[in-house]
Amino acid sequence: MSSSSSSSSSPPCPKKMITLKSSDGETFEIEEIAALQSKTLENMIDENCASTPIPLPNVKGKILAKVVEFCTKHAEAGADAETLRAWDAEFVGVEHAIVFDYILAANFLEIPTLLDLACESVAEMIKGKTPDEIRKFFNINNAFSPEEEEDVRRQNQWAFE
Amino acid sequence: MSPASEADNAEESKEGASSLLDLPELALECILEKLPPDGLLSMSGVCTALRDRCRSDYFWDKHMKQKWGRVIGPSAYKVWQLCLASRRDNGDSNQGKQKGLLRLFSLVWPCSWAGEKINIGQDQTCSLPHDSSVMSWYIALETGRFWFPAQVYNRENGHAGFMLSCYDAELSYDFRTDAFRARYPPHGRRAIALETGVTWERLRSPPVDTSPHDLHLSDCLKDLCPGDHVEIQWRRNKEFPYDAVVLEFNQYSAGSRWSRTTIDRRNHREEGNEADGFYGGIRKLRTDDDEISVWKRLWPTELLE
Repeated sequence: MSSSSSSSSSPPCPKKMITLKSSDGETFEIEEIAALQSKTLENMIDENCASTPIPLPNVKGKILAKVVEFCTKHAEAGADAETLRAWDAEFVGVEHAIVFDYILAANFLEIPTLLDLACESVAEMIKGKTPDEIRKFFNINNAFSPEEEEDVRRQNQWAFE
Repeated sequence: MSPASEADNAEESKEGASSLLDLPELALECILEKLPPDGLLSMSGVCTALRDRCRSDYFWDKHMKQKWGRVIGPSAYKVWQLCLASRRDNGDSNQGKQKGLLRLFSLVWPCSWAGEKINIGQDQTCSLPHDSSVMSWYIALETGRFWFPAQVYNRENGHAGFMLSCYDAELSYDFRTDAFRARYPPHGRRAIALETGVTWERLRSPPVDTSPHDLHLSDCLKDLCPGDHVEIQWRRNKEFPYDAVVLEFNQYSAGSRWSRTTIDRRNHREEGNEADGFYGGIRKLRTDDDEISVWKRLWPTELLE
């Protein structure tokens, strides 16, 4: 599946619009070309299920709006890589809870470019942090058993001297 | 996944996947894949679920290959396996630690140079490997605790007697300088030598899977054609018969007695003796990777006599 903006060999109707419906009832219109970046939507379009609004019970309106924005941007013709990269960086420059929502949506809708971008952004949040800082940042409870705790401590000692 | 929240406000959201661990497997894997080794290590200390995932060989295989792939080969792997076996034999106790390392040393290098009085004072404080995961191996390499067999070009950096050479050595990484310490086995009358500051481009994993003490079988002689590049393997101890071929050493000037020699393909015998080593195992260089270009880079700038 291509996420580039060049047209495929058998182009869909120009400016054909698909309607998507979020879990909280909001509807959004997206160009078919842009929608093709989602494998899930592409399959539906191929099977001709795309005439009525497509319900997406796993995606909130707030997030679906952004996903539509992302796909539309990435389907644009003639976008240069540099500009797109900058745009992407801004797109994921949000708090991690929202990035997680992007990940869930990209996973459900099977949009590899968005998934990759969002995961990369989470990886950046992790880099350079100690285990403790990671726990605090992502609000994870340290659920080690005493043996595991000891094991981790020994391992860190051995690795970091 | 918990249902979408009604209140869509800006406070810290507790709905959806605000927890990293609630993310789909594929996504979590994708994130972990993008982490550098120290990031992975930190993550493995966060909680049980992450610890198990982050120790997986799947992630560490990639890091091993990326950073160490060029210098770590089958020989190093064998040594590592011996390390692990020795650790298992000695049990997990701290008392076994010191004894274990000494015993390991004689296991792996069962020849005269292991018996030499090597100062392994510093090594005695290093613990043996943690477990058999690739992660442990990676850490052992990064911290310099694991000395691995490899070959060093232009040993002792430009020493006249060793130009255009590649010597077997044991190496230990120094992450502070991103370079290596090299230990060379005793050679003729030279004792064990230690060199520091050996850079990455001077290293390669041993191309031949024999110990430095077994002669190299020149199995490529039938395939040698004019213009092929070869390197001579310097080994000790046994003798093998081969066929005839003329070797030209272009780094020497035409008149030099070192520039040409004939080898009888059928009855080639290594010259030399026990003390100084035998000279003559031939190995044809592979054209498909960098081997030839690496040697060419080391070519002396003036012709040698």
